Amino acid sequence: MGYNRAEMQVTFWGVRGSYPVPGPDTVRYGGHTSCVEVRSDDGGCLIMDAGTGLRALGQKLAAEQAAHSAWHYHVVLSHVHWDHIQGLPFFQPAYMPGTRISIYALRAAADELQQVISGITRHEFFPVTLQAVPADFEFHEVLPGRQLSIDDFEIRPVALNHPFGAVGYRINADGTSLSYISDTAPFTGLLHKQHFLAGPEEASDDDRKVLAGMREGLVNTLRGCDTVIFDTQFLPEEFEKFPHWGHSTPDHALDLVKGLGIRRLVLYHHAPGHSDKVMDTIEDTYRRKGNDLGIQVVVARERMTLQVGQVTDPGVGP
Amino acid sequence: MKVRFWGVRGSFATPGPHYLRYGGNTPAVEITNDAGRRVLIDLGTGVTELAKQLMLGEFGEGRGTLPVLLTHTHLDHIQGLPFFTPFFIKGNKIQIHGAALTGLPLAAVLQNQLNGHYSPLYGLENLAAGVAVEAIEPGATSLSVEGFEVSAATLPHGGTWVLGFRFEADGKTLAYLSDVEYPVEGPTPEALALARGADLLIHDAMFSDAEYESRAGWGHSPVSSAISVAERSGVGKVALFHHSPDSTDAEIDTIVADARRRTSISLVAAAEGPAIEI
Repeated sequence: MGYNRAEMQVTFWGVRGSYPVPGPDTVRYGGHTSCVEVRSDDGGCLIMDAGTGLRALGQKLAAEQAAHSAWHYHVVLSHVHWDHIQGLPFFQPAYMPGTRISIYALRAAADELQQVISGITRHEFFPVTLQAVPADFEFHEVLPGRQLSIDDFEIRPVALNHPFGAVGYRINADGTSLSYISDTAPFTGLLHKQHFLAGPEEASDDDRKVLAGMREGLVNTLRGCDTVIFDTQFLPEEFEKFPHWGHSTPDHALDLVKGLGIRRLVLYHHAPGHSDKVMDTIEDTYRRKGNDLGIQVVVARERMTLQVGQVTDPGVGP
Repeated sequence: MKVRFWGVRGSFATPGPHYLRYGGNTPAVEITNDAGRRVLIDLGTGVTELAKQLMLGEFGEGRGTLPVLLTHTHLDHIQGLPFFTPFFIKGNKIQIHGAALTGLPLAAVLQNQLNGHYSPLYGLENLAAGVAVEAIEPGATSLSVEGFEVSAATLPHGGTWVLGFRFEADGKTLAYLSDVEYPVEGPTPEALALARGADLLIHDAMFSDAEYESRAGWGHSPVSSAISVAERSGVGKVALFHHSPDSTDAEIDTIVADARRRTSISLVAAAEGPAIEI
């Protein structure tokens, strides 16, 4: 266990789902899409997802890198929907010679991971292909249940319920733990596969078994985790309308994590239409619901840093 | 004829407190003629806001018609497509006009954007409104868009090229020249022809002249290129467009103030906001 210095810490660079939302209504919580920086006590760095928040993180890292050489970044992807990858071509360290970038992602189809990631910088989409930038890229396939070790992080991937497949991660380091669970629908109702859903689709008996297994896998992964970041894109009334879009509500998240000895739940991947005012209401409502369950609920905001681990953290959100 | 800027930012959307006056959405510009016919240029993130307004009217009932012109398919010009809600309503007629930058047809490029890895839409065929893709052949050409006389021509954009457009309606002319970088000898004849005598020229001015020095070859214009085209084409007014994601409101103010000292042509920086009468 750590003592007076912070243990693992997590900084939010993008907290939004679907697409970036500039404008006066998102100034306080932030408008960039998914990207989270995780740091261990001795400087290990994981980048969870590469949404538009990655650009500003890259500018910070490039400034740090200028004083060093041969940096190695680990970008751990939940899945490759645009809102989780579109910052990658704008990641400044990729344009600095000597940089290594390892990308970890679920292999969700027969296509090679490298092809899928390179596909976002095809000439039709972006002027510079991934192959043409100075950084060296490495691609690592993630399998739910198969543990990864990166620097001093022990990482356990777990399958989530999202169109085409997504994966969550529990990250253990510095004697504490953080989980990144985005994107996922709840584990009741419908099972997401690899085809388009025009509307909710009835789950078969087999689907229900798969969902129950997924839920059990996630519960076992999260048990005793200090801080859990969770996709809570929708309010309950929005979920009613779009149960087939692959996202959860804060109620789904609380229902899943209650009783697992989790200290703190971070609401994340906010709907693009949720203004700062709506987010304030969500914070208010779910802080109270969390209190009743003995769970500290925090709403993710851009540039917010949280210390992970109970020893050094007095338990006050920003 | 009216123009409304829904997105004016180049390359990358910029949420945050320093981008509120000019706006942080990537390119999307709506042009409306006096009879209420509209045409949309580019599908950057700005279209998500336009979509909300359109859905309140006939597009919400599946009775909307919208021609969309794409300058090219770099991500900042198409990233709003999967979130443009009029596509989700059956009956809306949305036609995308654009060119193929590489050998790949435009429909195939958009299909790649929406493939299952990248989007839960799994392909253009799942947009309930259907998407008609109209190819524009490279080279100077005129297009049939109801309510407007439209011509298109190719412009150099770094290692590739884009389409520039000229719109005429109600006795007014608007030219849209974004994502363009001219050779050292100056603006191309195609650019000058599109802009000739326009009441409003919307022109790429991603960089100040000083910034441009280290960014030559990136495919974008310094402010002086916008001024040069405006002066040589005799336009009434020029709107600097495709602002750098690194330019804050205060920095754009400075760019505009400097530019105004260098030309007698009326000059503004394009900003998200209400429609402007041309």
